[in-house]
Amino acid sequence: MVLESKPEVDFGTAKPLPEVQPWTQAFWDGTRQGKLLVQVCQTCQARIFAPRKLCPQCWSSDLGWMESTGRGAIFAFTTAYSMVDPRFSDDLPFTIAYVDLDEGIRMMSRIVECDPAELAIGTKVEVLFHPREEFRLPYFRPQRGATGRG
Amino acid sequence: MSNLAIVGIGEVPTALLPERTHWDIIYDTCVEAVRDSGIGKDDIQGVISVTPVAQPVIEGELAFGLLPERLGLKGVRDCAMVNAGGASTSNALRLAEQWLGAGVADSVLIHQVTIHSTMPPAKQIDTFARAGIDLQWEYPYGTTYNIIMALLAARYMHESGARPEEMASVVTALRSWAEHDPHSIFYGKQAPSVERVLESDLLATPLHKRESNILADGGAALVVVSTERARQLAGPAAYKLGESSRYFGGTCLEREFSVMSEGWRVTAEEAIARAGIVHDDIDLWNVYLAYPLAHPAMAESLGVAPPGQGARYFAEGRMSFGGDIAWSTIGDAPGRGHTGSGVGTACYVETARQLMGRAGKRQVEGCRFAYQNTAGGSGFNNIATIWGKEARGGPRKQA
Repeated sequence: MVLESKPEVDFGTAKPLPEVQPWTQAFWDGTRQGKLLVQVCQTCQARIFAPRKLCPQCWSSDLGWMESTGRGAIFAFTTAYSMVDPRFSDDLPFTIAYVDLDEGIRMMSRIVECDPAELAIGTKVEVLFHPREEFRLPYFRPQRGATGRG
Repeated sequence: MSNLAIVGIGEVPTALLPERTHWDIIYDTCVEAVRDSGIGKDDIQGVISVTPVAQPVIEGELAFGLLPERLGLKGVRDCAMVNAGGASTSNALRLAEQWLGAGVADSVLIHQVTIHSTMPPAKQIDTFARAGIDLQWEYPYGTTYNIIMALLAARYMHESGARPEEMASVVTALRSWAEHDPHSIFYGKQAPSVERVLESDLLATPLHKRESNILADGGAALVVVSTERARQLAGPAAYKLGESSRYFGGTCLEREFSVMSEGWRVTAEEAIARAGIVHDDIDLWNVYLAYPLAHPAMAESLGVAPPGQGARYFAEGRMSFGGDIAWSTIGDAPGRGHTGSGVGTACYVETARQLMGRAGKRQVEGCRFAYQNTAGGSGFNNIATIWGKEARGGPRKQA
């Protein structure tokens, strides 16, 4: 959507933080330890993202976590140049992608530490953790030493 | 089988007119629709408001029953508000059909009003950055509607091989209809060429500024009755013949693109079958997707274009004004101007207008059957409906 005038109201500068639910706390605790966790149903072994209170496949509440390798491939990506929430204006241009982890789940994230022009659907990426206040957001960058695209 | 017909329509031109109030639009659209229906104002028995997005004051007034009182609709037995984002009007029609069938009301006024021009720009950004976008897993990365549509388009272009010029031609096609639509914000303005679309600012690859849409003010209203009653009335009508829907998911990243495209396909197939017609009977594909870059994929899912050829069809001008495929004859939100949940209402008004034979220069010749879809939020569902110039079982009585 396009706005024909510039924002008149001050948003402040603090970027939004993830709105955590009790059953997602472990995910964010993991990021603070440099771990990317994937929720796993102990009953049907489904790998779950986004984390739930119940398994969306079998409704079991017996849920656990596995540590991801942090590696995956880009399913789709876009580089934003304008018309974003003013709190993200200082990040422009930035690249957002759907990343398919090797563990079989898909996340939305940022792709950093690269020239967006060199990215492609299928590019192999690896996780890193970006600080925002008390959080560590999972970001991705092209895999070091990876050749070719997935 | 559906038992619903649109017998009256009312609409104001979409525009940026901050001096025009919500109630000003409500008066104009609702009075026009009721008069158009031929039903007396005190014979309207139900009122359903389509929830405007991020308009809290008017939403509160309408949700708590102010409209029948303000308009002096003395015969109203009940009123309500419906909210499913862009799919709200489809659900308002469903609720109306239930009221008609249950004897709650024998005629229902459905309306929508949205004013963006008096909404602080920061509020607009905030609303459309969060509505339909997950606050834990998407929003913190700086995601917006533009970005999620850009992701969808990027993947479509990867899979289909569609070129940027072909994608840009969707804007040219949609705006070509708007050029001839007196209710469009772009009425009388020449549709931009592919070159002009591509030379506009890049918002989020591959989405250019002219491939987005302009938030604007607008409103529309419909009067609906049962099929039997519509047959007794003197004027033309649009009859609901079939419907189908699928839910895809509320979080963009969990919505598999292949599931969406299959859902678009199967809902059309089911709605067409329930209407008792076949695919080739459809004279008008009145598609609502809000963003132009999703149209080629929809054209393929609907079987209007072969797989992988949707963008090429637009580039060839086949869906443009004067082309051989009548497609989104108000130009969807990019052509009409984006009025939030009101685009869906405007599309239903257009479907009725075409079937009533009152679409002026945009009139689809011999229009007998129309496909009309809506989707809510950032695309959590698809509701496909089929509408006809006549009810199933024969033509209506003429006065």
